[in-house]
Amino acid sequence: MFAYIVRRLLYAIPILVGVNLLTFLLFFVVNSPDDMAVSQLGEKYVTPAAIQAWKEKNGYDKPLFVNAQAAGAATLTDTIFFTKSVRLFAFDFGRSESGRDITTDVSTRMWPSLAVALPTFAVGIWVNICVALMVVMFHATRLDRWAVFGFVALMSISYLFYIIGGQYLVAKSWKLVPISGFHGGAQAWKFLLLPVLVGVVAGIGSGARWYRTLFLEEANQDYVRTARAKGASEISILFGHILPNALIPILTGVVVLIPSLFMGSLLIESFFGIPGLGSYMLDAIRSQDFAIVRSMVFIGSILYIVGLILTDISYTWADPRIRLN
Amino acid sequence: MKIVLLWSDVLVFLLVLSLCLFFYKLRQDPQIRQRWSQVFASRLGMVTFTVIATYVAVALLDSMHFRRALDAPPGLAAQEVFYDNKVTSVLDIMLDGMGERFERTYSAPFALRSFEKQNMKDERGRDIRDFPALRHAGTHLAQADDKWPDVARKSARALLWGLLLSALWLAPQWLLLRGSPRPWRASWAVQAAVLCAAVWLVSISRHYHVLGTDLGGADVAYQSIKGVRTGVLLGTLATLIMLPIAVTLGVMAGYFKGWVDDLVQYLYTTLSSIPGILLIAASVLLFQVYIDLNPDFFSIGMEKADARFIALCFILGVTSWSTLCRLIRAETLKISQLGYVQAAHAFGVSHLRILGRHILPNVVHIILITFVLDFSALVLAEAVLSYIGVGIDPSMGSWGNMINGARSELSREPAVWWTLSGAFIFMFVLVLAANLFSDLVRDAFDPRTSTRRSPL
Amino acid sequence: MNTSAAVLRIRDLCVQVAADGEEILKGVSLALQAGRIFALVGESGSGKSVTSMAAMRLLPDALAITGGAVHMGGQDLFALSEAGMQSVRGARVAMIFQNAMSALNPVQTVGRQVAETLRLHTRLRGAALRQRVVDLFAEVGIPDAAARYAFFPHQLSGGQQQRVMIAMALACEPEVLIADEPTTALDVTIQAQVLRLIRQLTRSRELAVLLITHDMGVVRHTADEVGVMYRGQIIERAPVDDFFRNPREAYSRRLIDALPDLSHFQSAAAEELLLQLQDVKVHFPIRRGVLQRTVDHTRAVDGVSLAIARGETYALVGESGSGKSTLGRAILRLETLAGGRILFKGKAIEGLGRRAMLPWRREIQVIFQNPHSSMNPRMSVGDIIAEGMISLGLDLTAQQRRERITALLQRVQLGAQFSQRYPHELSGGQLQRIAIARALAVDPQLIICDEPTSALDVSIRAEVLALLQELQREFGVSYLFITHDLSIVPGLAHHVGVMQAGRLVEQGSAEQVLTAPQHPYTQALLRSVPRVDGA
Repeated sequence: MFAYIVRRLLYAIPILVGVNLLTFLLFFVVNSPDDMAVSQLGEKYVTPAAIQAWKEKNGYDKPLFVNAQAAGAATLTDTIFFTKSVRLFAFDFGRSESGRDITTDVSTRMWPSLAVALPTFAVGIWVNICVALMVVMFHATRLDRWAVFGFVALMSISYLFYIIGGQYLVAKSWKLVPISGFHGGAQAWKFLLLPVLVGVVAGIGSGARWYRTLFLEEANQDYVRTARAKGASEISILFGHILPNALIPILTGVVVLIPSLFMGSLLIESFFGIPGLGSYMLDAIRSQDFAIVRSMVFIGSILYIVGLILTDISYTWADPRIRLN
Repeated sequence: MKIVLLWSDVLVFLLVLSLCLFFYKLRQDPQIRQRWSQVFASRLGMVTFTVIATYVAVALLDSMHFRRALDAPPGLAAQEVFYDNKVTSVLDIMLDGMGERFERTYSAPFALRSFEKQNMKDERGRDIRDFPALRHAGTHLAQADDKWPDVARKSARALLWGLLLSALWLAPQWLLLRGSPRPWRASWAVQAAVLCAAVWLVSISRHYHVLGTDLGGADVAYQSIKGVRTGVLLGTLATLIMLPIAVTLGVMAGYFKGWVDDLVQYLYTTLSSIPGILLIAASVLLFQVYIDLNPDFFSIGMEKADARFIALCFILGVTSWSTLCRLIRAETLKISQLGYVQAAHAFGVSHLRILGRHILPNVVHIILITFVLDFSALVLAEAVLSYIGVGIDPSMGSWGNMINGARSELSREPAVWWTLSGAFIFMFVLVLAANLFSDLVRDAFDPRTSTRRSPL
Repeated sequence: MNTSAAVLRIRDLCVQVAADGEEILKGVSLALQAGRIFALVGESGSGKSVTSMAAMRLLPDALAITGGAVHMGGQDLFALSEAGMQSVRGARVAMIFQNAMSALNPVQTVGRQVAETLRLHTRLRGAALRQRVVDLFAEVGIPDAAARYAFFPHQLSGGQQQRVMIAMALACEPEVLIADEPTTALDVTIQAQVLRLIRQLTRSRELAVLLITHDMGVVRHTADEVGVMYRGQIIERAPVDDFFRNPREAYSRRLIDALPDLSHFQSAAAEELLLQLQDVKVHFPIRRGVLQRTVDHTRAVDGVSLAIARGETYALVGESGSGKSTLGRAILRLETLAGGRILFKGKAIEGLGRRAMLPWRREIQVIFQNPHSSMNPRMSVGDIIAEGMISLGLDLTAQQRRERITALLQRVQLGAQFSQRYPHELSGGQLQRIAIARALAVDPQLIICDEPTSALDVSIRAEVLALLQELQREFGVSYLFITHDLSIVPGLAHHVGVMQAGRLVEQGSAEQVLTAPQHPYTQALLRSVPRVDGA
């Protein structure tokens, strides 16, 4: 087990190097710093001097990989690749193009993100399981068929409409909560209620449908037949046998998402004005702040890899048949 | 008239051609034919397929572009022809000028007056502030009260024409297919409904804006229809770009194992560890920088938008192959252990032939299921990407752009709901049909679904 | 013999497919008596399992009971409410199923699963409940019963899993036990132990047992009365001794004839050696630790030497996991050798590259166990047979190839029209014939038959074996016949080798090994083979 986790952590290194190299290629080789300067400055102000000044200000005036003019180790370290990409490994994200410290921004903004994402995630899974269980109890009846149709219909609605609709109904028409905004402390729930609600409702379609198939798959297993032959009732089979077995794929399927909850949701946060990492990313994309995008790509990759490792650990925890080695 | 061939048009027709060929090939296999007939044996299958086919037909009609020849200006020699700078499609012709009836700004569905007040002069020349009359709605009416009776009258007439047209359209099908065991009636009902609705929409739109107008005064119904092409194209093109990458890598990894497998696994783990939306956003932004820096590359605005659109398809395709690749790798691993592949080894069959004859045909069902499943996901993704600002070029009609432009208008008093509704209805019907259809395809082709394990 | 009253009586049971009204059971009647085992035999699809599931009202939704009655004591089970039925299942009628591994809940300890039955039907709780489960485990012969309580199913062996199933069934002291192919997935030696246990419990607990099986040997050893099922009907019913001495129906006769006859053996064939294995080893690495270094090897095949002569059959016998299939794959060069030599016609072929191996692939062919997975479902039968001819470069024109396919199909007793069909349209027996035709298509000298008949029903098995023997006489081809089933060996093999844990523990002529086994393992194997003569 321990050796396994160590090996997985070691395996994460080449992946992060790969991520880093890929983003570097995208940001500095496909598009040279000059191109970026031009698009940042705008067509009107493009002069060679202005470009040079912009590059110097943002630290893009170095060679890409090898600095022939520098001496010693600096030939490799005093380059764009080293200062912009390699330093990410030390969690040194540097400054955004507008001059703010990215590390500070990330560490303050991840908490509002988590405040929305975590309840959405937890309540969402709970609601989906409950809905799916209810539907499974009525399996092969008309209710079941209509429920599946309902799930598909819910899945076919764009996320944007859930948000817009939720804001319109709950906040504007019924005036139950504020339309958007965020506030720490005791008042926070008022602002969190609607985003969480929207997130949960938007997920019911795909979530409950998936869980329903998992439950039905388990319901066809031989051990369910054994339980029936023992004289167990359908309800106790559902909760005593099917649910624990189906929870294995459910748990392990969602565990990978847990670390990424820190990243927040782009859409929810921007519509509801929550100052989390999701809206941070969106602002960065809209203002074409590549330094932030690069850092967020790196953070996102790390969280995903952590999620994968957690998934494997959760397997051993949830399923007695699996031993890692 | 001068035909304009956009890159996306070429791709669409190639796409339709290759899909037809693909399905024709598949039909030769009796097992696959049997599974398809299972899909089409249900009324739901027929209905959803007809709906999807309607969307595809609209997209194809909207992909035949040309520039109209302008009338020679007086005094100039007639042999030289000038072309309109605006690109028109066959669909625009069929919609009978629906896209050319602009108002000043918002107006509600079937409204006769604009949504916003504006300074103007009354009959006596005084300055007043009132809702101005629309230029293209209800101009033939003597007074405003006649509106609803007029709409009803015109609707009834349109409906009659629609039924007549449906009868003409369906008669040959009925003659050909009446003995068929499949539920063609369901399909015919949808076809008739679509035809009636189309006739009604086109004829009513001459006199009213059925779904109102948007901020720029454009007809919302027209915009929604124009969004069809974008949605359908994005959904198919991106998947089609992704397929060869995913299939090649997945099959190779599962079959050759060893270092090939390690490499492919490394590639897709790396790719899928990057948050998808960031990767797409970064790629699109970088392409946008490229377009901005090379403005001379594209002769008309539409080509620029088209280039960005194709780039988006490519980016979506190249960034999304990992899921399918993983599935195909797992399936190939499984198939490689089966008796018939072992037997082929025992016969000394070459690797290429084993891949082509034994492995590929047996993963086709996964490709098929992914294709229909991803289609709806991509249509939905387009809206989100447009909202983020990395989607379709705003000059190109798309549902995402419509939603993006109107998202804050619900907070107005009274709310401007019709733009969102137009995009919502058209998108919802397509995605719902695709999702239901993909469910049927999956049921028919894959009795066991969802076998998931961690990828690393 | 029929003095005691029936505990459970099934009368005129009819079952149909709900969707199209196809009849699955056409009026099945039988009666179970305390302390006696009624064996219901028949081939797959004959309706034996449906009978038991219908009697317990556990049919899947697709099937519907359309007539008949099931009485227990004075009670009509079909008249009970679902809740009433639940109090019958497990308490008065218990069931055990074929594959214990999948019939047990994988994420619950076996102790809790047995306890669940007791919880449902008795007032036992807490320590008393636990003690009762441990006692049951001990009764069914699970060693170290108290510790096994907290084991998960996958931590037990197949035989122990089936014992847990039996313990679960006996927990509430039922009057009736329905055993649906209880030993089919088990190795022969374990199979004999489990059957003995069932028989012993039948006597000691006065159980009325319905034993469902396809294996006549099991019937001979275990049952008191036999019912032969064929296409949804019981066509013959008799006490077991009468039945084997004097079956009335031709179909029953065929089932009995499929049992081994240990009095006739194949005499040794020619002396010319075709294949020699010298100390062949196949190892699979076991990797551990951070760097996944190979710390040890699983010795799947650990130094096997044997020789097969031209035109003879060498039967390689052993239980699952003994390495016999791996050895077959190694000869085909589908596994890499860790050591040893493979000589074919005196030439070493173990080190040849892919291309150099091609000419030898014509000489060595293979037939696999599962006929359904050994045919590509996307290819027609004609293409499947032609594949080897094309890739191994038999210089044939398309016309000649077609003629050869037709001839081969006719030779394996299928018509030429089969070349246009696809695998999923064919039955297991037909597919296995096609597998034989496919192997024969390239004129091999040696065919490795990897359990070619174990997925087939008894009567079809006999036909396929007869065909293989005919072809051997006709073409002089040799077989390496890999099997776990000793019963088919006598009439078939010239030589027999017995494998255990990767090693060949005994080999010799068939008569020698089967009549005078030297190695204790061979003796154990042989003892557990069911025989008609009641030995």
